Amino acid sequence: MLDLIGSLAGVSGQARLIVDIAMYFGLFLIVAMSVNFQYGNAGVPNMGCAVQVIVGGFTVSAITTRLTFWLVQMAGVQLLPYQSDYDWVYNNFTNVSVLTNGYLKEHIFLCMTLLLFSLAVSMFLGAVMGWVIAVPAIRLRATYLMITLITMADASQIIGRNVVGISGGTLGMFIPNVLAFYPGDRTVVMAVITLFVGLISFFIFRTMLNSPYGRLMRAIRENEVTVGSVGKNVVGIRRNILMFASGITALAGTLVAFYFSYVVEANYQRAFWTYWPWLMLIMGGPGNNAGTFLGTALVVAMRRIIIVYKWFFEGLFGFPITYFESVLLGTLLIAVMIFRPNGIIPEKLLYIPGINYRQLVREEVPVDWRTAPKAKAGGGKRFGLFGKKEDD
Amino acid sequence: MLLPAIWMAAIIYACLITILSIGFTLTYLTAKIPNFAHGTYAGIGIYTSYTISKIFGFSPYLGFPLAFLLGGLFSVLVYLVVIQVLSRMGGGAIVLTIATLAIQIFLQAALYIYAFWIRALYQTYTIGFMLKLFDFRLFDMPGIFTVSLLTCVVTVILLHYMLTRTRTGVAMRATAEDLELSSVLGIDTNRIQIYSWFLTGGLACLAGAMYPMWFMSSPLAAAGTITSIMAGSLLGGFENVYGAIIGGFGVGLSEIIVTFGLQQLLGSWVGEYRPLIPMIILVAVLLIEPRGLQGIYERMMASPTGLKFLRAVGWKMEG
Repeated sequence: MLDLIGSLAGVSGQARLIVDIAMYFGLFLIVAMSVNFQYGNAGVPNMGCAVQVIVGGFTVSAITTRLTFWLVQMAGVQLLPYQSDYDWVYNNFTNVSVLTNGYLKEHIFLCMTLLLFSLAVSMFLGAVMGWVIAVPAIRLRATYLMITLITMADASQIIGRNVVGISGGTLGMFIPNVLAFYPGDRTVVMAVITLFVGLISFFIFRTMLNSPYGRLMRAIRENEVTVGSVGKNVVGIRRNILMFASGITALAGTLVAFYFSYVVEANYQRAFWTYWPWLMLIMGGPGNNAGTFLGTALVVAMRRIIIVYKWFFEGLFGFPITYFESVLLGTLLIAVMIFRPNGIIPEKLLYIPGINYRQLVREEVPVDWRTAPKAKAGGGKRFGLFGKKEDD
Repeated sequence: MLLPAIWMAAIIYACLITILSIGFTLTYLTAKIPNFAHGTYAGIGIYTSYTISKIFGFSPYLGFPLAFLLGGLFSVLVYLVVIQVLSRMGGGAIVLTIATLAIQIFLQAALYIYAFWIRALYQTYTIGFMLKLFDFRLFDMPGIFTVSLLTCVVTVILLHYMLTRTRTGVAMRATAEDLELSSVLGIDTNRIQIYSWFLTGGLACLAGAMYPMWFMSSPLAAAGTITSIMAGSLLGGFENVYGAIIGGFGVGLSEIIVTFGLQQLLGSWVGEYRPLIPMIILVAVLLIEPRGLQGIYERMMASPTGLKFLRAVGWKMEG
């Protein structure tokens, strides 16, 4: 990776594959870890991570791009008009790729500020989205919540497709290259940044899990009535978890937008950003950080290798490889759930640092993530997520 | 033409969504999970019709029983291989729902592969087709209008007869109400589940077989109906099959008529937002009354004003 950054030529061949895998590993580490945080540990089945990712992408295209245009115009660069929908799409290439990037090339500080600004804003908007999701999540049963969130993912894509001012509609749009000052291959730097953000979020989630708050979270998953009875605000904690994890998930959308330097709604498909992270989570082991890490690495490497060597695979099957990907996704999900229900690395009990467990009685308690949401325990008569009675 | 084309399309669509919603609700009742693959089952029906008419040259109506059978068998296969295994392993509602999502992804890809192979073999277009040309005329209207309406009504009547008069239907209702209690009473719940999965899969495929007679069909179109199906089931209430009839018909009708009306009112751009209508219905129902019309009905029964209103509109009280 280091000599890749040093090289000034475009990356190709085997090195390209490595950069690609690194990039997607960073991205999916963020998404899968936040799903793990929400579902594996807190028991909220967030099937709408695509919504939060799309929020991150649209932040760049709708907010950062406009801000950059404004700043660049203030600095004296004459941009083509971009106010109307037509101009926004039609003049987009000239405005962004020629005029704005030409200005950004000489201003490293502005570039870095824009990158950090986008990340911060997407995190904030993602958290707002998490709050919006939490409104139905407080009231609904787990399966109803899944229906709502999957629907929301579709709805956000439809809106992105038709409101041209957000991301250029069906055509998509270029976004300012915040790494314009870098003479070599921009994607390598972006991959390093993404990997860095991904690892940081991994360690944040990992640390949070074994903090007092994280243990409280797991306690809610196991038995929310008990937690409520000792005076903890169950609903508030769930909402905080959703908001926090949604904010982190939105980072993935921003980073992938900068990686492609292009935003289009088709890039934020529900299957891509929801089902694959869930496969990583279920494959690796829900509730286990190391498992999710391993699952992400395995699935991402497998997918990228299939995509890169698709001509070879297409000869094997006799049908387009995109369909094979879906077949693989569906089959793997079911196979993992049937043959390896606890994932590659099953969930373990949390050991609180500072306590000498040798002096305590050792007790091995099997933890099963599948029984985690208590929706079915009440025979379907209760609202599983928050133990609310159905008839109130 | 006795009816404007838009109303005809709306009624045909509403009939299809009604049939699909009934199946969806039936699955929800017996297996307690929302079956996300339900819309994609219709894709099997779509390609049965396609194969029968375009490849073999028969009328697509001859393929309806075959579609029913194929869909039922696939659905039973899904139940035996995936759902039953997972629920015996102790999987909760979330695991089973994820499993149905996985089946949906798998089935959609399988349909695309089938379409690809047919295209490679016969050199015809297989995605984005209609079979209007294979239709017949009846009462100066396309035959599918009468057929879909009749199928819908007959399905509802047969289902009502089955659920109230036959032993299997009563057992099905008992299983839906309480699995353990009904197995104590000597009902073979596993067999009842298989019957119910066969019925739902078959009904979905029957609706799917009618789909290409009027609408542009592709595997994605079949999968895309799932939002309308869920909105219809939810509007009627997941706990009531009869609710799904009203809910499915209402959602299907409003999806086309409301879009058309708004297009007249605001301009053609509204057409792009058509998939949002069932989504809005879905979210609104979930936020206002998660049990749909069934919940509203029970609330009215509980309150004196509601009872008075029901009496005023001439509703007969049960018991």
